[in-house]
Amino acid sequence: MKQARTESNPMKSKLIASGAFAWLAFAAIAPLAAQESGESKPDSSKAAAAKKKDPDPKWYAIVGGDVHTGTGGVLRGATILSKDGVIDAVGYALELPEGTEVLDAKGLSVYPGMVAISASLAVSQGARFLAEDDLHMRCCIDFGKSGHAHQGPLDAELDLVLAEQAGLADPQSDLRDAYDPYSSSLLMTLAVGITSAEQSGGALKLKRGEIDGVVMRERFLSSFTWSSASSGKTQLRDKFAGAARYLREKRDWEVRKEKEKDLPEPSKKGVDAKSLAVLEGSARAKFNANDRDDLLGIARLAQEFGFRPVIEGCVEGWTVAEELGRAGAYAIIYPRQRRDKDENVVRAGGSSIENAAILHAHGVQVAIGPSANGIDLGGISGRDLLHITVDADFAVRGGMSDAAALAGLTTVPARILGVDHRVGSIEKGKDCDVIVTDGDVLHYETLVQYTVVAGKLAYDKQKELLFAHIRPRDLKEGNIPGLESAPSESATSGPGEQK
Amino acid sequence: MLLTTLLLSVLTPADPPLPSLYALRVGRAETIAHGTIEHAVVLVENGKIVTVGQDLEIERGIPVIELPDATLLPGLVDCYSRIGLDSEGSSGFEPQARASDELYADQKLWKEVLETGVTTLGMYPGGSGIPGQGFALQPHGATREQMILKDPTFLLVHMRSDPGAKKFLRDGLAKADEYDEKEKKNQEKWDKDQEKKGAKKEEKKEEAKSFTPQGFESSSFEPAAFEPAQDKAKKERKGYVPSEPDAKSKPFVELRQGKLRPLFTLSKAADYLHLLDVLAKEEFEFDARIQLRDDLDLHYVMDKFGEKKLRVAMEPRITLQPNTRRERNYAMELAKAGGKPVFVPRTDSVNGMKDWLRHVGEVVAAGLDREVALRAVTLEPAVLLGLGERLGSLEAGKDATFVLYDGDPFELSTRVVAVVLGGELVHGEIKQ
Repeated sequence: MKQARTESNPMKSKLIASGAFAWLAFAAIAPLAAQESGESKPDSSKAAAAKKKDPDPKWYAIVGGDVHTGTGGVLRGATILSKDGVIDAVGYALELPEGTEVLDAKGLSVYPGMVAISASLAVSQGARFLAEDDLHMRCCIDFGKSGHAHQGPLDAELDLVLAEQAGLADPQSDLRDAYDPYSSSLLMTLAVGITSAEQSGGALKLKRGEIDGVVMRERFLSSFTWSSASSGKTQLRDKFAGAARYLREKRDWEVRKEKEKDLPEPSKKGVDAKSLAVLEGSARAKFNANDRDDLLGIARLAQEFGFRPVIEGCVEGWTVAEELGRAGAYAIIYPRQRRDKDENVVRAGGSSIENAAILHAHGVQVAIGPSANGIDLGGISGRDLLHITVDADFAVRGGMSDAAALAGLTTVPARILGVDHRVGSIEKGKDCDVIVTDGDVLHYETLVQYTVVAGKLAYDKQKELLFAHIRPRDLKEGNIPGLESAPSESATSGPGEQK
Repeated sequence: MLLTTLLLSVLTPADPPLPSLYALRVGRAETIAHGTIEHAVVLVENGKIVTVGQDLEIERGIPVIELPDATLLPGLVDCYSRIGLDSEGSSGFEPQARASDELYADQKLWKEVLETGVTTLGMYPGGSGIPGQGFALQPHGATREQMILKDPTFLLVHMRSDPGAKKFLRDGLAKADEYDEKEKKNQEKWDKDQEKKGAKKEEKKEEAKSFTPQGFESSSFEPAAFEPAQDKAKKERKGYVPSEPDAKSKPFVELRQGKLRPLFTLSKAADYLHLLDVLAKEEFEFDARIQLRDDLDLHYVMDKFGEKKLRVAMEPRITLQPNTRRERNYAMELAKAGGKPVFVPRTDSVNGMKDWLRHVGEVVAAGLDREVALRAVTLEPAVLLGLGERLGSLEAGKDATFVLYDGDPFELSTRVVAVVLGGELVHGEIKQ
C-alpha cells in the first residue's frame, strides 16, 4: 500500500489532505472485512461506551522508527499516533496533540505485533513455576495448576469440567475471567513480540496489567476431526449436507412466508450446530491433517459446501498445493515438523522445507505456528512459543519471501481467528499493537526493545529482568535491572545480587 | 508495700489468681496505641486496663507487681488459623456455614497455644469456594461459649482468577440484590397498606409480609435466631421490619449492611484485579489474605493495595520475585504503599506460633518498620476480626490481655514469662 506523507491533526481528522485516499480506501474495505469475519456487536458497542465515558483521549506516539506496516510498505522514520489504543494516523510530520506519550524509536524498526496461532492457556492464565501449596490444592476451583503449563488441550478440558462443577451456565467470559495480566509467561510472550494469541479457538489481546478488553473474539475456530475411515468421512459430509439443506430450506421459507403465512419454519432438529455455524460464517472450521489424501478430501468437502477450511499441520500440502489453493484453504504450518515419505507409494510425499513457500505460491494463506505452543525455558534455541520467528525463518529457508513469512505471523493468523479488522498490520483504525525491534524481526539475533499493546507500553526490554543484560540499549548505571546500585525499592537485594 | 510482698509471694503457678485490682510495673511496654513506654505502669481492674503510663504513681493499697526486666505486649492475635479444628470443610458455595460448629473446647492444645503468647485466634472455615464464616476464640475456657469471643468474624471467600470463583461471588452478590429488590417492594406494599389502614383501622398487618423467612439450616450457634413473636411486637412499635433473608443470601446482605466483613484469599496479583472486577461498585470494606510463597507477583498490585489501605494477612517471610533470585519483602512494601500488613504464623501449628515472633523479627531485620511489625501481630489482626475495640493494644478500657517477655520479643533467646488473659494469669509465673 502506498503511504504518502500524511499530516493529521486529530481535531480535524476529516481534513486530512494528502494520502487521504489511502484511508478512504481502507475505510471502504473495513466494513466488508468486518462483515466477512462477522464482527460481534458487543465489541463495537463497548468501544462506543468507552468513548462516551472518557472524553479525554489517551494519545501515544511511536516516533521515528522504520515502520513495516505489514501490508507491504515500509515507512522510514515515520510516526504512529494512537488514540485510546487505536491507530489514528501513520505518517510523517504528524502533529502530536498535547499530552501525547512519546516512545522514541529512532534507528529501530517497528512491526505489527505478532499473532500466535495455538498458544497454550498458560500464556494468558499464568504458568506456575513452583508446586502449589496445600491451601491452593484444597481449593478445587483454583486452576492454572502447575504441570499443565504446556498442555493447552488438557487445560481446556480441565476448564470445561470445572465450569460444569461450578454450575456455569454462560461460559462466555471464561477466558477473561481467568486472564492473568501479570503472568510471567505473558511477559515472556510479549518480550518476543507476540501481542495476540489464540486461546481455545478465540483470540486474546495480551494486555498487561488489566483485564478489560482482552478478549477480542471467542470460539471462532471450531475443530473438526477428519477421520481416515470412510465412515467418518461420510458422517462429516452428512453433517455439512444437513446444515446446507437446513440453510436452503430456511432461505426458501423466508422468501415464501410472505405469501404463505402458515408455512412452518424449518426445524433445526437434527442439524449439526457446528457445521451450521461454519456455513453461516459465525465459526471457521479447523482440521488437523497432514496426509495428501486427507488434504484433498478436506479441499473437496470445503469446495462442495462453500467454506474456507483451516488446515493445521498440512505437512504434505506441497504435493496438493493447487487443490488447496483452489479451495481457498488456510494452512497452519509448523515449518520444523518432519515426516518421512511413505515408501509404499511412488508419488511425492513426506515433509518438505519448501512446503510453506509452495503453498503460498498457490494462493494458500499460510500461518506459521510454533513447534510447541507453550513456553519452555529449557534451551536457548528452543522450539517453543518464544521462537516463533525462528520457525518463520525455516519457511524463508524453504523459499518463502520475508513478507509472506511475516504475514504468516501477523495478518494470516489474524484472518484465521477473525480479528483481522483489529490486529495484524499497522493501519489507521486498527488497534495499536506494535513491536519495536533493533533489527529485522525475522533475524534470530533481533531483540524486541518495546512492545506496545492497545496504545500502552506493555514491555520494555531494559525494564524487565529477561533480556536486559543482552546488548543493553544504553549502558548506564541503573539501566540494567539486575545491576542497580542502590537497593531502594527492595531493601534486601544487594548490588551483588545475581539475576 | 508489705501487703504487696505478701500478696505476690502467694502467686505461684499452681495458685494463679491475681487480685481484681492491681498495678503492673514493667521495664518496657509496647502499647501499640501509644508507642513504646519505658518503666511503664499498667493498672488493671476487673480484667480491664484502667490506665497505662510511664512511672505512674500508684495509690496506696493497690497491689503492685514489679517486673523491671520484663517487656509487656498485648496478647498476640493470630487471625487466620484452623488449629484444633477438623480438617474437613465444605466446598463450593456455603456462605452460611460456621466454622464454630467444629470447635471442641477443653483440648490440651489450647493450653499449648496460650503458652506461645497467642491469646486470640481467628478461625476460618475449611473448604474451597465460599466455605463459610469464621469466628474468634480465646484458647482458654471450659466450654465453647466461654472460648468464643465473636461469631461470626468474617465471611471467607477464596478469590481466584477463575470463572468458577468469580461466579460464586457474583451469585452471592446477586442474591443480595434480589433480596434488596424484594424488600423494597415489600416495604412499598407495606407503606401502601398502612395508608389504607390509616383510613380504616389497624388490622391485617401480617399480610404485608408476603413471604416467610426460611430460617437457618446449619448453625447451631446462632446469636440472633429468628423469633416471630418478637418480630411481631417490633413491627407494632417501629413500623416495617425487613424480613429475614434466606440462609445463603443473609451473609451477602450483611456484607452490604456492614454487619459482616469479607476476607478474600488471593493467590497472585491477578486475583486482585478479578476481585475488583466482580466487586465493581460495591462499597463495603474488606480484608485480604495472601499466602506468601516464592514466585509471588504482588509487587504489580502493591500500589493498588496501598490506595485502598488494604489490610493483608500474610506470613512473615521474604519471598523471591518470579523467575529470579531477587528478594521481596512484601510486608514492608505494603506498609510503604499505605496498606496494613497483618502477620500470621508461617505454619498453622503450635510450633509455628512459637517461632512466629522470631520470623517477624527476620522481616524487621530486612527493613520492615518495628512499630508496623508489632501492630501486625496485635492490633491489625484484632481489627480484622472485629475485636479492635477490645483487644490488640494496651489502652484504657481494653481487656487486660497481655504477654510478658524476658527481653525483646523479636530476639531468638527471648522467652514468654507469663500470659494474662482478661486480667487472669493463665500461664507462667509472676514473682517479684
